[in-house]
Amino acid sequence: MAERQSVASAHDLELVALGAAGDRRAFGELVRRHSSAVRSLLRRMGADGPTADDVAQDAFLAAFEQISDFRGQGAFQAWVKRIAARLYVKRWRREARTELLADSDAGASSAHGGGELGAASRIDLDAALATLSAPERVCVSLCYGAGLSHAEAAAALNAPLGTVKSHVKRGLDKLRARLAPEAGERREAHV
Amino acid sequence: MSDAFEFRLERMFAESPAMPDVDLFTLETMGRLDRGWTARRLVIGGMGAIGGLIGATQIVGSGALGQLHALGAQGNAYLAERLAQVVPAGLSHGGIGLDVETLWMIGALAVAAAGFGLVRLVREI
Repeated sequence: MAERQSVASAHDLELVALGAAGDRRAFGELVRRHSSAVRSLLRRMGADGPTADDVAQDAFLAAFEQISDFRGQGAFQAWVKRIAARLYVKRWRREARTELLADSDAGASSAHGGGELGAASRIDLDAALATLSAPERVCVSLCYGAGLSHAEAAAALNAPLGTVKSHVKRGLDKLRARLAPEAGERREAHV
Repeated sequence: MSDAFEFRLERMFAESPAMPDVDLFTLETMGRLDRGWTARRLVIGGMGAIGGLIGATQIVGSGALGQLHALGAQGNAYLAERLAQVVPAGLSHGGIGLDVETLWMIGALAVAAAGFGLVRLVREI
């Protein structure tokens, strides 16, 4: 009982150290703490509920395998999110959606994803992301949700840096118009 | 260069609601982890068994057992001779039963104990 409490109150870094020593309970606590954020990011990238859960599980299994590589620079959650985002992109590319990465302004994504989370009225960001094309959504989520640089996102997507940058820019413009229209107008006036 | 909206966007991405089925998800993930490890142990064990079988077949096929037996007999004779020089006759025959077989057994146990010690040490490190 006391042990369970100590795991529940332990800092992420302590749990990572215990997990690296093979403590499954400590790693389970990390999964419990951070799985919602990881699954949420994947849904925001456009994954449907079951796919997001599947990729999130893969990400945590990969994290357990590589946990001794995590040196504590940055948060554990951000680290797992990057692993998950890269895994999802791999799957997304495998499913022959790479042609969507052509530098064209495709229509809004048909995969709104998100199951319970997709309720547009509940979360502004989810609703705004649903108006983006699939490549814009993935590129914006990789850069602002998973914390990848443009170059890292381009490498993960195996796409030219310029293409990723233009998807991010177009996606940002759409999100800005939706989430902060007054700021967008100010920017346009300034330009 | 990031502007205020980009920082806001990052914060919005960072804010994610807790999923209602977080415990179930954790349970499933840990179940997959355990299944993975069990499968890995089975594969490693199976590969070890197959490797051992192949090795044993090779050893038997090469006639190495006969040579080993001859070497063992020589070793036994040598050990018995050295033992007879070191241990008084009353002890080696009867007494505490310190004969060649016992010495071999003590040696094997010492090797096994050293192996366990080594494994323990590696785990501690």
